[in-house]
Amino acid sequence: MTKHRERINWKKEAKLLPGYLIVGIWVAFTAVMIGWIIGASLSTSREIFSGTVLDFETGLHWENYATAWNSQNVSVFFGNSLLYATVSGAGVLVISAPAAYVLSRWKFKGSRATRILLVISMSVPAIMIIMPLYTLAVQWGLKGRILLIVLYIMLRVPYTAIYLQDFFATLSRSYEEAAYLDGCSPIKTFWKIMLPLVQPAVITVTIFNFLSVWNEFFMALIFTTSADMTPVGVGLLQIINSMKYSGNYGGLFAAVMIVFLPTFLLYIFMSEKIISGVTGGGVKG
Amino acid sequence: MKKNKLLIFLFMLPCVLTLLVMYVYPVCRTVLMSLFRVESLTAGTSEWTFYGLSNYTTIISNNTFQMAMKNMLLIWVAGGVITLALAMVMAVVLTSGIRGAKFFRAAIYLPNIISAVALATMWVQYIFNYDYGLLNELLELFGLEGFKWLGSDSKFWAMTASFIFGSVGYYMLIYISGIEGIPKELYEASMLDGAGKITQFRTITMPLLKRIIKTSITFWSINATTFFLWSKMFSPIQTEESTVVPVIYLYDIVFGGKGIIQRDAGAGAAVGVVLTIVIVAIYGVMNLLVKDTDMEY
Amino acid sequence: MKKILSAALVALLVLGVFSGCSVNSTVGGKTLTFWSMWSDGEPQAEVIKEAAAAYKEKTGIQVNIEFKGRDVNTLLSAALESGEKIDIIEDDYQRIAQIYGQYTADLTEMAKAANYKGYDCLNDQVIAWAGHLNSIVEQPQVGGVFYNKDAFAKAGITAEPKTWAEFLNACTKLKDAGYAPLALDAAYADFTFYHQLVRHLGEKKIEQLAMNGGWGRETGAVAAAQEIIDFVKAGNLADGAPDEYPSSQNKVGFGSAAMVVCANYVTAEVNNNCGVQLNWGLFNYPTVPGSDNTSAYAGANSLAITAYSELKQEAFDFIMLLTTGEFDQKMADKAAQIPADPANKAPAHLSGTVETLLAADAPMTWCAGINANSDLINSFKSEFVKLYEGKYESGEAFCAALDALYK
Repeated sequence: MTKHRERINWKKEAKLLPGYLIVGIWVAFTAVMIGWIIGASLSTSREIFSGTVLDFETGLHWENYATAWNSQNVSVFFGNSLLYATVSGAGVLVISAPAAYVLSRWKFKGSRATRILLVISMSVPAIMIIMPLYTLAVQWGLKGRILLIVLYIMLRVPYTAIYLQDFFATLSRSYEEAAYLDGCSPIKTFWKIMLPLVQPAVITVTIFNFLSVWNEFFMALIFTTSADMTPVGVGLLQIINSMKYSGNYGGLFAAVMIVFLPTFLLYIFMSEKIISGVTGGGVKG
Repeated sequence: MKKNKLLIFLFMLPCVLTLLVMYVYPVCRTVLMSLFRVESLTAGTSEWTFYGLSNYTTIISNNTFQMAMKNMLLIWVAGGVITLALAMVMAVVLTSGIRGAKFFRAAIYLPNIISAVALATMWVQYIFNYDYGLLNELLELFGLEGFKWLGSDSKFWAMTASFIFGSVGYYMLIYISGIEGIPKELYEASMLDGAGKITQFRTITMPLLKRIIKTSITFWSINATTFFLWSKMFSPIQTEESTVVPVIYLYDIVFGGKGIIQRDAGAGAAVGVVLTIVIVAIYGVMNLLVKDTDMEY
Repeated sequence: MKKILSAALVALLVLGVFSGCSVNSTVGGKTLTFWSMWSDGEPQAEVIKEAAAAYKEKTGIQVNIEFKGRDVNTLLSAALESGEKIDIIEDDYQRIAQIYGQYTADLTEMAKAANYKGYDCLNDQVIAWAGHLNSIVEQPQVGGVFYNKDAFAKAGITAEPKTWAEFLNACTKLKDAGYAPLALDAAYADFTFYHQLVRHLGEKKIEQLAMNGGWGRETGAVAAAQEIIDFVKAGNLADGAPDEYPSSQNKVGFGSAAMVVCANYVTAEVNNNCGVQLNWGLFNYPTVPGSDNTSAYAGANSLAITAYSELKQEAFDFIMLLTTGEFDQKMADKAAQIPADPANKAPAHLSGTVETLLAADAPMTWCAGINANSDLINSFKSEFVKLYEGKYESGEAFCAALDALYK
């Protein structure tokens, strides 16, 4: 590749060689791993266990994907995760964005306490809250998909509110003043003017919420009580455990690929946004 | 701009309610529960009997819990040093002006967006496999004997290594953004003074990254104490001593793991409290060590 | 664009809300709720669904099956405590007897009325644990040494080994014929060594030791460990064993190893994993000198009825439909397992298992002796794996390591 480029400073590149080697090996390793999963998803159990995954001696077994999707219930898991990730992504905005806006604009009784509480909540380990929540869910008879949706929304509120608050703080107050003069009510001002102004931040944080809900495991493991509310992470674990009996490992890796694909596609198109989201949210947290 | 009390109230209410229901109440109840003898999570408070600190003494004298804490400590220290060092190396390399930095950056971060269940399955069933696994194939290439990566001695390290591999990208991104925030002129000036790359790293990059390193250590600490999924994936059928961590132990005693007949939610709560204390302690120590306290919130 | 997006999100939200509450769809008529330990899509689940359809046809009673997968045991206790509407549960029969005992109905009378037989050794075990019959066997299991008959023929082994000496002799012949004698995955290290311990000590003694320690003072325990150490040193384990499940047991399927100690489901697993139809045989774990213990593992996944179910007889009728006659035969064939109804026929690769079960008197449990000490089970297990890894020099050293766990 680089041969055809012009004006290469060979001396400089040579100096960087160790660097190239380090990241090159790392990335090559990642590529081999993903390549093997793809290979395994198209092989039979026999080929996987005899280590001949990339030979494809018996051809490509696309039927693994069909099996995984239909009879291993991956379609249900997939649909559930999609539902959880999108609905809670929207729900968390409805709760967090107004609060973030108010917190960035005014000082009031308890505003400092709320800010601190938000930051602390973000680092509370899930195991500290999960047991009482479980008790509540059982006592109130809450179950099914709605339970996980509610939990995921509440789980992502602190992070989202903190993240958005920084962006609201950068907005000039002249917007509100202009809106006020135009006779726009404060609530309308927020939804119609202020929120759209932080749209890039909203998109970034939503992608983040999507990914983290999609890959969430611990809560799902504890609160999932039936197959029709199982999301992909727990579903995969169930498939792995039932493999013990049915021995369809090709189907297992096909399931892995199906679960991996949406996040991968999202990543390819949005990697810049995601990466800026990590650094933006991460450094300040 | 005028304060609008109604607006503040309406806008804050859902968020505050969430905090109360999702965080404040559960944390308080968990702390309380850790002081009571509670067998089942679904038992009402009337069935709780006061137990003092007995839950804590129970778990501390329990073999599995001791192993779990030891494993967690190893993950935190050894895993932390390796992960953060690797992430720093990657970050320095990627900001040194190599070609395709963007591509490499995206590729190294990639494992973070893959479901860990999928990643771990691949490590267990492929990379570490004794007969045809990638590592043993590589060893064979150099004419060496295959190694039992998942044997009882090395399973813990195999698990930690695969966890590290998945985590490096995240910390690398944090470091990159930190390094990019350092003014270029500083480097140019030191270059004129004849400082080499390593001196530059030591005298400019490291000191200026102090705050970010502190953040990353805090994050790592939370990750290490709440470590769960990788352990579950490396021993999916039954908890194993080599890979057990506190959260797995908690899950087993509260929800009933294989072969565990007596459940103990009170002891589970105590585990939760212990872990939280560990996190708070680490956070406190970090704040003492790195006296850069321009709190932003 | 944004409007469409938000409209779609609202629609999804509404959908989510409603799908969460649309469980009880049957209006009028009786319904049974059945929490199954299988995952949807497994052969067992398919047969259960068929049986439910047939039951509805016959009686008009709808059976709502919720496939919870094998983690059902983490859900059941809480669900039963809170009186969740469940009529039939499915799990390991020992767990049903010992953990859910108080939430399950006594089936003795209904079983008598229905002339239910099953396997005596399993039913007696349930009664010993729970005080009465509180579950009906759905999938019986037997354990022992499963082996490739063709490998034995090739090695010139004509009779199945009965004693430890004969067993070692067979191993030598297998090695000469180019087979690794025994495949072993770490997941079954406890089960395999448990056999050796039971032969020397019996389960009661093991339970005492597990609770209180003192392994080093027990000559039987030392001898059992020493035999395994010598067995491993002689190179009788497959390459890489104890391996990560299912790598080692697959070696029997790929023809490099000859035997594996497990329960009967290993045969179907290996056949599936390796894409072969192996000529399987089963013999009881060999006896050791100076002891007459010959017990073999027998266990079951069973069905039980909740104590608070309002449709006990209906639930029992469904259980009978599923575990006897036509549907039981279907289950045995499709899921490649032993029929729950002794009158049915076991699949070819399990031939002889029904007879073994009928003849058995006091079955061995799945490691219940060492599992009795729930604080140390994980430690025991990891010591057993080390034993098979050849980490211990002598039986004494191994027992000392076990005793060190008690502090």
